[in-house]
Amino acid sequence: MAVLAPAPGSTAPVTRKEQRGRRLSDRRTRFGLLNAAPVVVYLLVLFVYPIFSTLMLSLKGEDGGFTLHWYTDAFRGANLEILLTTLRISAETSMLSLVVGFVLAAAVSRLKPLWAGLVMVVVVVPHFISALVRTYGWIILLGEHGVVNSVLTGLHVPGAPFQLLYNELGVVIGTTSVMLPYTVLLLYAVMKGIDRRLMAAAASMGAGRVTIFRRVYVPLVAPGLVNAGVLCFILCLGYYITPALMGGPKQTMVASLIDTQVMKQNEWNGASALGIILLLLTFAGLLLLRLLKSAGEAYRNRGARS
Amino acid sequence: MIELRSTLTGRITLAVLSSLILLFLVLPIVVIVVTSFGKDAFGSFPPSSWTLDWYKVLFTDGSKWPGALSLSALVACLTTVFSLTLGMTAATALVRSDLPLRSAVYGLVLAPLVIPQVVIALGLFLLFEPAAMLGSPIALALGHTVLASPIAVMILMATLKGIDERLEDAAASMGASRLTVARRITLPLAMPGLVAAAIFSFITSFDEFFIAQFLSSVNTVTLPVQVYNVLQYDVDPSVTAVSAILIAVAVVALALVGVVRRLSGSGQQDVLLPTEPGVGLAAGGETAS
Repeated sequence: MAVLAPAPGSTAPVTRKEQRGRRLSDRRTRFGLLNAAPVVVYLLVLFVYPIFSTLMLSLKGEDGGFTLHWYTDAFRGANLEILLTTLRISAETSMLSLVVGFVLAAAVSRLKPLWAGLVMVVVVVPHFISALVRTYGWIILLGEHGVVNSVLTGLHVPGAPFQLLYNELGVVIGTTSVMLPYTVLLLYAVMKGIDRRLMAAAASMGAGRVTIFRRVYVPLVAPGLVNAGVLCFILCLGYYITPALMGGPKQTMVASLIDTQVMKQNEWNGASALGIILLLLTFAGLLLLRLLKSAGEAYRNRGARS
Repeated sequence: MIELRSTLTGRITLAVLSSLILLFLVLPIVVIVVTSFGKDAFGSFPPSSWTLDWYKVLFTDGSKWPGALSLSALVACLTTVFSLTLGMTAATALVRSDLPLRSAVYGLVLAPLVIPQVVIALGLFLLFEPAAMLGSPIALALGHTVLASPIAVMILMATLKGIDERLEDAAASMGASRLTVARRITLPLAMPGLVAAAIFSFITSFDEFFIAQFLSSVNTVTLPVQVYNVLQYDVDPSVTAVSAILIAVAVVALALVGVVRRLSGSGQQDVLLPTEPGVGLAAGGETAS
């Protein structure tokens, strides 16, 4: 009857189960298995197995034997540069999205519910508009004769028009606008949950505005910042639409390289190894997030006890 | 920190900054829509004169857009059917039953949202290429369902949690079979959630690029892939009109979701963005219930 042991996170309390008797509980388990089967089978065939075959392919040499050749290849020369570029652009974009997202989320969390709702619509709707289309919008905006440069030239900003496209600045601007809805939503959720009386209490104890922000507000938002930052970073790692369209050759990202290797060079093994590296980086990010979360909880618990 | 009597300059700075940020989000979208009606599609902004030519070009002979549009629509419809079926059964299993390994199943269902899409796309390519299924609408829809079903499951789980289980128990105690309960009680009550899940599945597929890029064949490409190809290699001003249509589809779909939610009076706005999965997954799926 090992199957009947309540799974972690199961909603049904044991007592109720005992009351209803084993037959009913048996039936509820069978019902669950029956209903979970389609999605599990589906994902095993179309999600887990494909990733597994990617892994196998990345470990297969020309002669069919086992090799790590494709991985060493990925960490050499131009490929290594692309890997480092991907990490750099992801880091830059996450930082910018966090800062900008923090400002907007902080502003929205101070608004009355109706206004906050309206602003959040403006944040959420773009998220559902194809990133491709929004990138195209940025290409029109940031071109040499685009709106941004026209305005800057009109204002007689020295040095205008600027080169805003096909360089890293353009890529970071474009990618940030794609990632921003995520960070704003994650941070907004955390900020809404903060008890504002804590800040009032700090003020009543004589803390200044800067002190309250630094010692009370930021520590309370910190878990959200870590969460949003790491998730944004992970999402950027595998992204390539905006860098491919708004960047130059120096802004090639790993996903773009995978695309080229498969579509143009028919180089499946190398592409698979790069894919697995992306996957491992993602896992590393999620693991880091989990470690930071439990570290944060341990820190808070210790603080509560002392 | 309103209670702390924020300074006027502070408040004005914050208001100006956040307006600029909102502009940052909206401007690229507005500029596309305006440009699509302008005579000089790649030229100055705002356009010097107005025209509908770019929309007409879409439907002239030899245009590759109608084919791409109908393929995208077909794939999106198939994806919607697949992910609603998977979503409803999975949500039922996760919310309404004693499922062994529940958090593992929940983690598996949400995993596609945090795994890099290019990796999923590559894997699917390796699966469908030997089967000679590249470019087939079925293969594309099966691939898109991997991304759409987690969203459907999340929305439908929230919906099922919002339905009083006692209503189902009551019907069952009056002698209704499981099927009758599902058909006469659960489905009607879950309708708003089903509509929302359907719409989100549809847009997810309609706008999807990575998987479509890998699973397309030379002659059959979806709309986003066609847009990408034009932006990267061709010069075709009608791409602004296509982009404006993509914007319109997304906005209309989201407005529909809003209307359905208002009509049903359900307050589950928090499932609008798939932000939870990353959190749930990182937490090992403990947020499942």
